Amino acid sequence: MEDSTRRVLQRLIRRIPTPQLKTTLEKWSGMTVAQRGSMDYTQTKWALTEKLLSLCEENDWTTKHITELEMIYVIDNPNQGMWHGFQLLDPEDDAHSVELTQFKEQFKSHLGELVRHVSVKIKKHTDEAVWIRIAWGDSFSRPNHLKPTYVVHHLQTPYVFVTGLTSKQKPLLSQALVLSTRHHTIKDANLSGRKLTAIRDLLMKQYQQVFPTNFPSPLAEKNETVSNPKIEREQAGPGAHRHQMACEAFGDGMLPQLQSAVYKLETKFKDHTNRTMTERDEPFKCIVKFESTNLLESLRYCAASGIASTPVTPLLSSIPLKGRNYFVITDNGPGPSSQMHQSQN
Amino acid sequence: MEPPHNSVVRTPLNSVIVQRRSKSKSYRQSYRSCLGAASRLGLTPALTARRLNTSRRAPKSHNISEKVNPEHLALLLKTEWKLSYVSPLYKFRHTQLKSYSRQLSAFIAAEKQQGLAVEVEGLQSGFRVTLSVVQGLTETDDDAETVLIQIHANPLFARQDEPQRSVWSGWLTCINGNTDYLHSLPKDFTCLPLCGCSGSEYLSGLVKSWFQQTFDCCFGPLEINHTSLQWLVALWTNCHMESSLQHLKMSWTLPVVPPLQVTYTVNPQDAWELWCSVRAGRQEEDEEEEEGGSIDIKEVMRLMQGLKGHFFRHFRLDLSAGSLRQVTTALGSAKCNGRIKISNSRYMITTLTLLTECALLKMPI
Amino acid sequence: MSSLKPFSKLPGLNTANILLVESEEQFQQSLADALVEETSVTVNVRLAKSLPLPLENEESRPRIDLVVFIINLTSELSFQSADASLKYLDPGYFLGKVCFLVTNARNASVPTERLDTVRKLAASLHCPLLFAEDQTPDGVTNATERLLTILKVAAGLVPLATALYLSNLTQCTVPLDIDQPSFD
Repeated sequence: MEDSTRRVLQRLIRRIPTPQLKTTLEKWSGMTVAQRGSMDYTQTKWALTEKLLSLCEENDWTTKHITELEMIYVIDNPNQGMWHGFQLLDPEDDAHSVELTQFKEQFKSHLGELVRHVSVKIKKHTDEAVWIRIAWGDSFSRPNHLKPTYVVHHLQTPYVFVTGLTSKQKPLLSQALVLSTRHHTIKDANLSGRKLTAIRDLLMKQYQQVFPTNFPSPLAEKNETVSNPKIEREQAGPGAHRHQMACEAFGDGMLPQLQSAVYKLETKFKDHTNRTMTERDEPFKCIVKFESTNLLESLRYCAASGIASTPVTPLLSSIPLKGRNYFVITDNGPGPSSQMHQSQN
Repeated sequence: MEPPHNSVVRTPLNSVIVQRRSKSKSYRQSYRSCLGAASRLGLTPALTARRLNTSRRAPKSHNISEKVNPEHLALLLKTEWKLSYVSPLYKFRHTQLKSYSRQLSAFIAAEKQQGLAVEVEGLQSGFRVTLSVVQGLTETDDDAETVLIQIHANPLFARQDEPQRSVWSGWLTCINGNTDYLHSLPKDFTCLPLCGCSGSEYLSGLVKSWFQQTFDCCFGPLEINHTSLQWLVALWTNCHMESSLQHLKMSWTLPVVPPLQVTYTVNPQDAWELWCSVRAGRQEEDEEEEEGGSIDIKEVMRLMQGLKGHFFRHFRLDLSAGSLRQVTTALGSAKCNGRIKISNSRYMITTLTLLTECALLKMPI
Repeated sequence: MSSLKPFSKLPGLNTANILLVESEEQFQQSLADALVEETSVTVNVRLAKSLPLPLENEESRPRIDLVVFIINLTSELSFQSADASLKYLDPGYFLGKVCFLVTNARNASVPTERLDTVRKLAASLHCPLLFAEDQTPDGVTNATERLLTILKVAAGLVPLATALYLSNLTQCTVPLDIDQPSFD
């Protein structure tokens, strides 16, 4: 057995928390039933690693086996590392008819043409997502299995989610993806987060959305019933309205867990009490970052409670609406209009 | 009427509690007895005597690097300090630091041994404590000299000849302390109200309890409140021309569910120009005063209002609903929980002056 | 702009009505739940985020006997909102029918100046200033008891006591040394 295989295995076992180790190993085809039975998960991580290393020797596992195991683990626990969203643009006529085997073949061959040493593994997950694991090498070195890139793509959708990609590898991956999905270009969706599910739900709009309506919302009625008849909320109407507006902007119920949003502002400073700054020509440069364990829920609360005034500013509602969490805001050229232009980069 | 013990409900420990000062007990009791229940209706008497200054001199750059031992200065600059306030020390002598060093080493060794059933050979020699004076880190003659405490220890698995590592350091200082207060202290008291610690909580606790026992003083956590953080924003921004800020970064926390943190990073040049514009009105008013002589709290508020206004214009979200938690620039960083890092020696005096003032506000009267 | 008037409506029998104004709408709910538990008199609670109150409720709204402004000291906005609401009250309310309830006064991040401002405001309007703890059930109970004491007097349910008389005893006073700058 090669030394590098041992290292990859060691590193992988260290990454998997002991409670998940059992389920992950059980899904893996690398061990016989007897071997699986002989594993004692009450042992320390170190002992388990030693045991697996000896099994590795015995079964003559190759890197291929180990990467298989890694993929099982990553697919089950995708909410690690930073995931970035990309969007495929300008589909060709036959883009919708790309199916899995064709995609697999095409992707592997296109990437193989671009990079000499690259190891690609593609797996189809139960929820229709195609998982791609890429270990990169270059013309002189063999693929580095310790720092793989993971790509998740749902066939027939324009969205691709990537983690562990360096800027050097980005054009290579982009080209391979564009060619094999039969699109013309790919662009950064400016959306990133620690939870793959969250950014996927956000881009694919898989959360409870609320649309503007003229009818009284069921939300307001819900609140009425619980309160005591002796307690009356004077501003129940405006409160319910704020809540409705907040839900229209950010959605209702559980929202995708996005952790942050960043705005790069280069806009004029306008303050009627401060003439010097208002008359200044240069924009006021600043960066604003919003952070929370669930950003959209926090923002919804802000709007519903009146901390953020309603209707919600397009800057904030663009996060769910456009599925982005990175914005560059500049003024729309000189003039009295305070319209903001969100540059598409 | 409810029993008296019930009328005081303590804030749960998740929010930090301010330690209130109080005047002499008899005075308070007599005041209470004549007002009876009224004292529970907002008539808390005599607790409000002193406030933070509403104006302060603009920070001058102090070239303290010539006065202060470079080794000490490097230590003061590279570390983030956890602040505490200290009540005046009784019978503390700057001349006896050597003897204090020995006593403190012995104290730490003794405390360390308490948890052990068997005496481990050589353990007591593990810690070496040095107390020293940081020469030159004072502003007025009334300020007591700054004291630096360093604790070195052998690394856990050390070879014989390996040098000892610094495991804890701390200092006690007083910069521009209020002269009236310092003069009002009885003889034998030394006022070093501001304390910074860096290192394990356990050692901080030991050092503090030794000081408490030896000099009959008390320690308490010193938080940097909203106003002080705003002061730091202004004081640091005011230095930009002489020494670049790199960035002016402020963090707010908004009380929503789940809590929302807003980090607002402003380009230093723009922050400086905004500061100049809020200062401009003032300089026309009192031209005769020496240039940029003092900064008023109103100017600080105008700066913050300007920054918040710009934010509100974009996000329609009022930062006033939350609280400022942290300020970071290239000159230093300060957090509301009382952690501070001063990265530039030239403005150390200015920052420490503000903090000394905050610490003095906590002193018992 | 309509202002709330203390004597524009008739009182109900053995009934006291209280209006809790709080911009954050956090503490008012738990206070209200505790206030209506009172059995000796019927307590009706009205909750508002700020004043003025909406016109359409004018008819259904009983006579308000006591207006309580809840101010969370950790939030600047909370004070600003209460301050802005004051002008929608009829001057008659300031004869003992308004009080301020401050929360989070012991929080370390709160600058002392903010409490001073509230104190000065309460003193200038001759209103009592109460301190309350909003995070524990004990604190809510305590605040409720204190409010009920004032409310009963303000509603005229305590023989021989009037709101004006009580407020003379309980109004907030500003310590003489509050503006004394201590340093420099």
